[in-house]
Amino acid sequence: MSAHADTLTHDSHEAHGHGALSENNFLGLPNIKLAMWAFLGSECMFFGSLIGTYFFYHGNSLSGPLPKDVFSIGITSISTFLLLMSSVTMALGVDAMRQQKPMKARTFILLTAALGACFVGFQVVEFHEFYTEKHLVFAGPNASLFGSTFYTMTGFHGTHVTVGVIWLLIMSVLITKKKLVPGKEAVNVEVMGLYWHFVDIVWIVIFTFVYLLEFLK
Amino acid sequence: MASIADFAAAQKPIYHQERPSKTGLMDWLTTVDHKKIGILYGGAGLFWLLIGGLEALLFRIQLAKPDQHIFIGDTYNGLVTMHATTMVFLAVMPMIAGFSNYFVPLMIGARDVAFPRMNAFSWWTFFAGSLTINASLLFCGAFPAAGWTGYAPLTTKEFSGMPIDFWWAGLTLLAVSSMVAGVNFVVTILNLRAPGMTLMRVPVLTWMMLVIQFLLAFSFPPVAVGLILLAFDRTFGTVFYSTGMGGDPHLWQHLFWLFGHPEVYVLILPSMGIVSEILPVFTRRPLFGHHAVIFSGVFIGFVGFGVWGHHMFTAGMGPIADAAFASTTAIVAIPTGVKIFNWIGTMYNSKMTFPTAMLFAISFIPMFTLGGLSGMMHASPPLDLQQHDTYFVVAHFHYVLVGGALQGLFAGFYFYMPKISGKMLNETLGKIHFWVFLIGFNVTFFPMHMLGNHGMPRRIYTYPADAGWNTENLLATGGVFLMAGATLLFVYNLITSLKNGKDAGSDPWDANTLEWMTSSPPPVHNFDFTPVVLSERPLWDHKYTPGMEIPVPEQAEEIHMPSPSWKPMWVSASAGLIIVGLLTFSGIAGIPGWPLCIVGALGVIFSVYAWVTEPV
Amino acid sequence: MSNALRTLSKRLPSLASTAMLLLLAGLATACDEAHPRDAYAHPAADASEISAWFYNMYMVLDTIIFVGVLAAFFIALIKYRKKPGDNTLPEQSFGDPRLEIAWTIVPTLVVLGITVPTLGGLFELAKRPDQNQKIIDIEVTGKQWWWELDYKKEHINTGNEMHVEVGTQVMLHLTSADVIHAWWVPRLSGKRDATPGRSYPLNFRPKEVGSFDGQCAELCGASHALMGIRIIVHPKDGPDSYENWVKHTQEIAAKPTTPAAEAGQKVFMGKGCVACHSISGVSELAVGARSRTSGPNLTHVGSRDYIAAHTLKNTPENIATWVKNPQAVKPGALMTNLGLTDQEAKDVAAFLTSLK
Repeated sequence: MSAHADTLTHDSHEAHGHGALSENNFLGLPNIKLAMWAFLGSECMFFGSLIGTYFFYHGNSLSGPLPKDVFSIGITSISTFLLLMSSVTMALGVDAMRQQKPMKARTFILLTAALGACFVGFQVVEFHEFYTEKHLVFAGPNASLFGSTFYTMTGFHGTHVTVGVIWLLIMSVLITKKKLVPGKEAVNVEVMGLYWHFVDIVWIVIFTFVYLLEFLK
Repeated sequence: MASIADFAAAQKPIYHQERPSKTGLMDWLTTVDHKKIGILYGGAGLFWLLIGGLEALLFRIQLAKPDQHIFIGDTYNGLVTMHATTMVFLAVMPMIAGFSNYFVPLMIGARDVAFPRMNAFSWWTFFAGSLTINASLLFCGAFPAAGWTGYAPLTTKEFSGMPIDFWWAGLTLLAVSSMVAGVNFVVTILNLRAPGMTLMRVPVLTWMMLVIQFLLAFSFPPVAVGLILLAFDRTFGTVFYSTGMGGDPHLWQHLFWLFGHPEVYVLILPSMGIVSEILPVFTRRPLFGHHAVIFSGVFIGFVGFGVWGHHMFTAGMGPIADAAFASTTAIVAIPTGVKIFNWIGTMYNSKMTFPTAMLFAISFIPMFTLGGLSGMMHASPPLDLQQHDTYFVVAHFHYVLVGGALQGLFAGFYFYMPKISGKMLNETLGKIHFWVFLIGFNVTFFPMHMLGNHGMPRRIYTYPADAGWNTENLLATGGVFLMAGATLLFVYNLITSLKNGKDAGSDPWDANTLEWMTSSPPPVHNFDFTPVVLSERPLWDHKYTPGMEIPVPEQAEEIHMPSPSWKPMWVSASAGLIIVGLLTFSGIAGIPGWPLCIVGALGVIFSVYAWVTEPV
Repeated sequence: MSNALRTLSKRLPSLASTAMLLLLAGLATACDEAHPRDAYAHPAADASEISAWFYNMYMVLDTIIFVGVLAAFFIALIKYRKKPGDNTLPEQSFGDPRLEIAWTIVPTLVVLGITVPTLGGLFELAKRPDQNQKIIDIEVTGKQWWWELDYKKEHINTGNEMHVEVGTQVMLHLTSADVIHAWWVPRLSGKRDATPGRSYPLNFRPKEVGSFDGQCAELCGASHALMGIRIIVHPKDGPDSYENWVKHTQEIAAKPTTPAAEAGQKVFMGKGCVACHSISGVSELAVGARSRTSGPNLTHVGSRDYIAAHTLKNTPENIATWVKNPQAVKPGALMTNLGLTDQEAKDVAAFLTSLK
């Protein structure tokens, strides 16, 4: 996925930095932004399938702990809060770039990356605890259906956050090197923001429907 | 009457950055030119078409008579599996990608696709995937043998060997390739249209390509998830498809067909587009009900996401789900009918000529109709319970995919090759190709309707002599030889035309759309100037409607074409390494494969960074 | 050369028509063949009659549509050709809204018209049979590559050849022990998947006495082609009645009477056959024991028409061939090759044939 997402950043140079290919811009929307929307549509189907799989199998597990036995809403709420906050800093970063303040934008981008990294850290801790203390197993002879589906779904989300963090770091390097400057290229930060907010929304869906719904009754 | 010779007098554009004029291998490896990538896709598609055809020939020989022992058991199943996988993913889809790469930018008056390097990435990933699937023959001495639908749990480790690993690995790469291409072309078609080309002036073929790019981008993720779950099951030992742990085999079927049915429309819609481009040219009339043809294609694309359950009527989803899917499936008949009526409508009051391209295009109509009508039968669950997984279904989808999709692509080759190579294909050979293929195709597939009615299930490697299936099977095998001969003749025609063909000139068919206003083959920058589009038939109106000429600017345009790049191939190769690492995760001959995953992941990060910082 | 080719290409349309006629002639001879599995011409149960009704309905509808489309197509093809020397343009018409609306509405009505009976037939087939009547309940388990048939109420366990009664409701419960299979006997009912971990019902009421053949219809591995089914529909009365079959099959296996059969029984018990196959009265005491691991229950194997799931006719020679090297008969067969000598194989065949 990372290959895919990052290529978008650069090809926008082709579309906006110079001439030729940007002459035809029929919708008045930058290519890169349109591409990100299409890509996010594709990602909706991807996460839809993963979350769908989780619910298709919900309650089918023949062995192992049940969701209620392993989830601890308190800890996950904190990491959810951190990820939500990272959307705020991301939005501020996009705004700073639009206002021609690259250094301020870089600060917010790094802050976003830090919050994202914290979220991934929390996930690693959570996985570790689930595995060692609650015996929720992903694969092998002791695996359960709940373990396999849960780790796969949240793992892919975590991978998306990780890719986002790497992307944010590359972006801050480019800003420092003045290879990514405000003006027409601000759209690259904006597109990164779209991706980040999408990943955030996916987590809200997972947190609500996978974690919270277990405790509804 | 304005002539297209006017265009030749236009000012040549000024390149901002001189491209090194390289030719040869290096150029093909690093190219980001949509035309060259299109040729690569088309060539690969033709190659795999021959391989897939050979596989079919082999298993038809086994079925020519009852109780034969030539290709039996999993050898036969492997041939069947690879025939379908090859034809769908490695032959028809790349040929479509070839046409879409080559002609979409030309038809909309653009200089290239929106993301040329991403385009190259799609091609190389496809290339890696196509090799991976077939590599199982090299490394395991056997083909994957679980059918192209790969129903779990037959694909799990308990019931299949290593070839299935190559199957999921290759398909995953193809899925990535298609999703990236889908995003790229959606942007290209929506955003890079020439001034004045409103959506209703977009040529029908480009419209159909737009629809299928959405289908690719949105339908591949479900099967990618299904394949990833399969890969995890086989590699790490997760339990997604393990019924002993509570897993449900229906999960794979839902994920697969949620992709699989839109995929069918991916295969047929471009051919419908090609027919819709060719008919107006050789009837010398506009396409009848142009808007209706476009909207029906869009409608088919939408409905395609809601009908997947009709592949599962025998699976036991229950009557409510069956009823819902039966109803949505029946709806597909409406837009399809509209298209057929409009094509016939185009033929009325016209003055038709019949070069080979036109022959293939019009024979599409009755052949596809036949396939569509048998399709209506399986939309009805009470009847589908009998027809599902029989030769009747085999007959149905070959009428749609060979009589429809492949004949449309053949029409496309005869029609568009003069633009690609600048040389005409030989018409005499073309006509022999057409008639022999048409006869061979009907001799092969028509009897299969009867076989299905007489109770022969598909994918069986042998049958008893007293089941009443002997004559039809022999006929079908005979027909395959005719089809094979015709196809070889076509390839011969194609190759010899490159050298001996008559010069085509820029507009050999007196056609309607923008691709015919530039030279054959087109220059790297496609058009000397960006045309302004005033109608749905810009070139026709330029030639025949006074006052509708395409204006030729006096000033030369300044342009910048993207430079060749190695980076797309690096990213593809690194992604391929990750997949190979997963494939050999626990090791072959004691050497663990998992380090390859790490090397691949680092390779992706490194090459993406190099890509991002590369000057274009 | 090229002239000859050009002449040939001019003659192609007529050659093509000749080929099509030959094709039709070929299919006409095909009609002389008997079609023992034709579900539409000879349905033999209520479920298959519903499918056949739909088939005939669609054939009429499709023929009308196809002939109509072909007629319009060929009229245009013949009438609207460019005449030599005529370089004028035809009328440039972009379409006709009234026509467009008409040929959108007509297919819509047709689709609505066929969806109503379709849903009717669908729910009719899915209806649970009335539980107050006599029902033959059979649990069917697909296995690579044969079918285990378990008559719970009757305490009968057998394989591949199912016995039922004419006019009596049959209710199958389909499941699988390994991969997905599909149960299909065309003249009696449509198919239904046998899915591991799940059980799906299939109902039909046979209307004809006789033997009906079918086979697995879902790709299930190397010997998918050799996973046959035979359903024998018994009359209600007479010596061949279903009741008599049940009574006979509930008995334990007959004692071997010939020396060869006795020797065969020793081989069967001593060489390992018994590890997978049950024979009531020989390997176990209970009647109708479920098969062990993977092999069918052989208590009355001598009375079956075929062996190895409809792969070979049930003759002593075929049994000997089969037990000597199962994989040579069925690729990938899970039955172990025990390395029997020719004599042992012959004895086993004599023993199994005696189990009427």
